[in-house]
Amino acid sequence: MNWSSPLPALLLVGAVLGLGAYAVAVLDGAAALVTARQRLPLGDIVIGPLRQAALAARTRRSTTERPDLQAWALAPALLAGMAAGAVATVPFGPDTAVADVDDGIVAFGAVMAVVMVGVYLHGWSANSPLPLVGGYRFIALALSYEMPLALVLIAAALPAESLSVGAIVESQYDLWNVVRQPLGLPLYLVAGTGLAFWGPLNGADGADLAGGTSAEVSGPARLMWALSRRFVLVAVAVMGAAVFLGGWQGPWLPAPLWMALKTLALLAVLVAAGHRLARVRLERFVVVAWVVFIPLALVDVFVSGALAL
Amino acid sequence: MSRGALVDVAFWLFGGGSVVAAWLVFRTDSMVRAAYWLLASFAGVGVVMVLLNARFLGLVLVLMMAGEMTIMAVFMVMFMMNPAGLNPMTMVHQHRQAKIAGVVAFAGLALVGVVAEFPDRPADPDGEPTAELGRELLGDSMLLFETAGVTLLATMIGSIAIASKRGRYGDAEDGSAPPPLALS
Amino acid sequence: MRLPALLVISAALFGLGVYGALSQQTFVMIMMGLELMLNGAMLAAVTFWAMTAGGAPKGQLLTVIVMTVMAVEAALGFALVIGIYRIRKADMTEKLKRLRG
Repeated sequence: MNWSSPLPALLLVGAVLGLGAYAVAVLDGAAALVTARQRLPLGDIVIGPLRQAALAARTRRSTTERPDLQAWALAPALLAGMAAGAVATVPFGPDTAVADVDDGIVAFGAVMAVVMVGVYLHGWSANSPLPLVGGYRFIALALSYEMPLALVLIAAALPAESLSVGAIVESQYDLWNVVRQPLGLPLYLVAGTGLAFWGPLNGADGADLAGGTSAEVSGPARLMWALSRRFVLVAVAVMGAAVFLGGWQGPWLPAPLWMALKTLALLAVLVAAGHRLARVRLERFVVVAWVVFIPLALVDVFVSGALAL
Repeated sequence: MSRGALVDVAFWLFGGGSVVAAWLVFRTDSMVRAAYWLLASFAGVGVVMVLLNARFLGLVLVLMMAGEMTIMAVFMVMFMMNPAGLNPMTMVHQHRQAKIAGVVAFAGLALVGVVAEFPDRPADPDGEPTAELGRELLGDSMLLFETAGVTLLATMIGSIAIASKRGRYGDAEDGSAPPPLALS
Repeated sequence: MRLPALLVISAALFGLGVYGALSQQTFVMIMMGLELMLNGAMLAAVTFWAMTAGGAPKGQLLTVIVMTVMAVEAALGFALVIGIYRIRKADMTEKLKRLRG
């Protein structure tokens, strides 16, 4: 993409995030019905998310006493912006990346850190106890999954001898990283579930906190927050598909279609995990993350480093 | 707009914004906002670093500082009476001396920066600073890298030891005494 | 984006950091002042690396070391803040007057 027209970049990132969020909503509805062992009415599943979004956009907006309005409005924008930034570093074809910078993995790490800021602000701004508790729980969660996430991505960068996502994708032309580094994708999916605070690691917006950080949010703001969460989940899946599943490479089909299929596969796994696995108690997850996941991620780094040398 | 002009606009926007955000850190009443204005200042500096082609350093700065500023916000809320700034209060001491010291520091350094003659050897704009940094860290400056690593390890152990609730000699809360009542 | 403008901005950040570190009463705000000073120093280091040192990697190394210093100072500073609060129940410098003559 060149300087003079940012429009293709906006369209690509917007299309990926928008279609991805819609796919997440559709998969969510389907997974809910499958888990409840009911029939899947195709029309309802496809139109359902759009109907829910329209309804949420029309709901009346309520507010709390003395909230931090600017921070409250900033939080979903931060999440959406960071998701867009992460998607921008991923190539969707041999030469089709918005910003395939030399430090794509580090950019993803910076995205990860700012998402923590966004969720904490969302919990803090409402001036209400349950959202605040949700924000604090997310900080504990974020500090625990950040290290395994960063280490696993670094381990994937070692065979490519570069931090750019495009180089990592191209280094998988003979063997995908999910086969070469078996610890990588499971740890990445766990950390990614935490990053998007989805399903089993939904400390921030869990039902035990009556909706957590989005307990006091209603109307279009609620829709925006839900969309931003799904954008982050899509960004996690897109980066996972690029770094572990070989990205746009594959026989017969065109490159963007392979990318879409791999992303949808990871999204299906994440959404199914959200419906099949119960929410994990955060104290337990923090202990497991620091005591089990970080050593496993370090083993992953050492093994892939030894293989790369 | 040409690329050079765009870079200049971005530099003034983010560099000037960084200074304004740093000033707002000490102006705002809400403590959480103060921590995040500091993060905005760091993000501005990070963007300027990226514009100077030190992209890895800029991104790592944003990564580090996002986590650090969130921890600062958490500490503010933990320890201060009025973290949301709902009642305005100023908590400063030796204000005039501090302002004079700040202005003198700024004036001295800015004077040196503007007046002194620095050599003009710009970095190669097409170079690979990340790769060079990596080779330097693991090559000539390996000892420095290892020392930094051991320092960080010592910091981790030290801060856990200081902040831990249970020590060898009993609970951390034993022996604590509240401050005297009169605040001069 | 010339050298004097960048140095003036880092000097401004450093000056604001000095003001903050000297004038604030609460420990965490003092630490914010210290972080601002290190921020200004890092920006100056990267400026000199980019414009006067010809991209020698040691300039970047200085910035990495200063980042390490920031991390160390923040971690130990927060641990000490917790320790002081536990012993003296003090969150402001004004409350630590046991040794005042």
